[in-house]
Amino acid sequence: MRYWILFILSIITLWGADTTLEVTKTVGVLPKFVIEDGSTFSGAETQKFHKMLSADMKVISLFDVDDSYATQSFESLQPSLTHKEAGYILRYRLLDDGAGGFKAEVKLLQNSLELFNKTYLLKQREMLVFLSHSIAYDINIKMGGAPLEWMKRKVLLVRLSSARHSEIVAADYTLAYQKVILSGGMYGFAKWANREQTDFYYTSLSDFKPTIYKGNLASGKKHAITSSDGMAVCSDVSEDGSKLLLTLAPGGQPDIYLYDLVINEKKRITDYSGIDVNGQFMGSDTIAFVSNRFGNPNIFSKKINSTAITQLVYEGKNNSSFTTYRNLLVYKTRDGNGFNLRLASLNSSGSRQLTSSGDNDYPRFSYDGEAILHIKQEGSRSLVGIIRVGINKSFTFPLHVGRIQSLDW
Amino acid sequence: MKRITYVSAILALLVFSGCSTKAPTIDATANGSASNSSANQASGTAQSSTGADSAVIAPLTNANAADTNSNANGSVNAAKGVTSILFDYDKFDIRADMQENVKTNSALVKNKTFKLEGNCDEFGSDEYNFALGLKRANAVKSALVNEGISADSISMTSLGEGNPVCLEKTQECWAKNRRVDLKLP
Repeated sequence: MRYWILFILSIITLWGADTTLEVTKTVGVLPKFVIEDGSTFSGAETQKFHKMLSADMKVISLFDVDDSYATQSFESLQPSLTHKEAGYILRYRLLDDGAGGFKAEVKLLQNSLELFNKTYLLKQREMLVFLSHSIAYDINIKMGGAPLEWMKRKVLLVRLSSARHSEIVAADYTLAYQKVILSGGMYGFAKWANREQTDFYYTSLSDFKPTIYKGNLASGKKHAITSSDGMAVCSDVSEDGSKLLLTLAPGGQPDIYLYDLVINEKKRITDYSGIDVNGQFMGSDTIAFVSNRFGNPNIFSKKINSTAITQLVYEGKNNSSFTTYRNLLVYKTRDGNGFNLRLASLNSSGSRQLTSSGDNDYPRFSYDGEAILHIKQEGSRSLVGIIRVGINKSFTFPLHVGRIQSLDW
Repeated sequence: MKRITYVSAILALLVFSGCSTKAPTIDATANGSASNSSANQASGTAQSSTGADSAVIAPLTNANAADTNSNANGSVNAAKGVTSILFDYDKFDIRADMQENVKTNSALVKNKTFKLEGNCDEFGSDEYNFALGLKRANAVKSALVNEGISADSISMTSLGEGNPVCLEKTQECWAKNRRVDLKLP
């Protein structure tokens, strides 16, 4: 009988193993965390800031966040009466700097001990949520959490507002901050041009031919890069910003082109008679892309200077969008529940489901591979989704007006 | 008794160990609607955007009424006489029931310059969906050229999901959005 037990145990162990992609981290009971307002004035703005911090602290996922609002003297080492059970207290004091901005003093307390304190200066108070992200980022470092560099980045999205009308919007990842940077036409596929997020590419569909422009966030100036009959999209930007992967369709045939910004020349690098789109750099000499060359849209790769094609995904239907980071691939696939995202390793077979509800599309890895940004559609509602792969958690933030066409960060 | 103990142990192992789950453990929603924001940062064409905390407005505030009233359902446009060409899901070949519409259109657009606009349903905002719209426009172009229309008189664009004529979540509605419109100047 003991051999039977051993045999069954072995089967269970092998069946349960996922040596490549097991990313779930076991977490015990999280310490209770409260946020208290120590501002000398308490109003809509300080309470809104409390909500922002609560949302960020939940995303950090190191604490059991109690998001009830309470005030307490900033200097006190004790919690407010309603937060007696708290393990950690994050207390803030917002001060009007008299020049349209805020000074924020922040401290983290545990058992009447001050673990952390810092003062922040914010010049534009409309960007208050970025102050919250910065504080959360610092608390996360202090507590030894997984990297959160992506939290402070701006998200660039195209919002369809009505038929034939869309806007390009710069936002934070929670969509609490939204700033329309281009409107009055029909735009698509906005993408940051550099890591500093000062410039961006986008497609204008209001021109006679679809045209790719490069715009500057600060000046609002733009200039055309190239145009094409039928379709023109900037799909990816090389790490140094000198090369672009474009989808162009002269003659109605969508193919992938490599555009060298230094010499302003483009070179076609796919020539299939069906659909080749969405080129993404994988190192300096290889691209991944979407093609329907085997009937349905799927993910393939090729060397830039070679004609040989490699299929990257062997499961799922309608795998029509994806993102890569080193040897990891996240792709959209159609299943019985709609469109979901799956994570696969390029070094092994098998994959892991990342989403389970709604229609999920347009995945984008953060620069450090720690998080995946994506579009989620739930009925008529459009949301930004964040998946933290390392801790197996995901979060969504709704767009209140319009529908998201594309996003980047 | 010993046997019962073994069987119980095995059952307990099966129940408590399980296999590695592939489904995500959490799909939590952080309260991002912390967040009404209005914004003004230095930039040329600045506008501000606000959203009510709980209000959810339809994804697109209106369908394209002009196209809805005219030709999006495969019926004849009273004003120009041209007819939209409808397509099946994820397809860009012209259906048998649309061949007659192509012929009718070719007679109406002869010796004119015009634009073909490819459109898609809402399933996917990615590049593939745009390319599908373009391949549909290109299929109509080829069919019109076969009917004697000059290729030089035709320009094309894809609008992806961005120009719906119908916003309902029904098969019939999605079918109306998978279309190519002929736009005369």
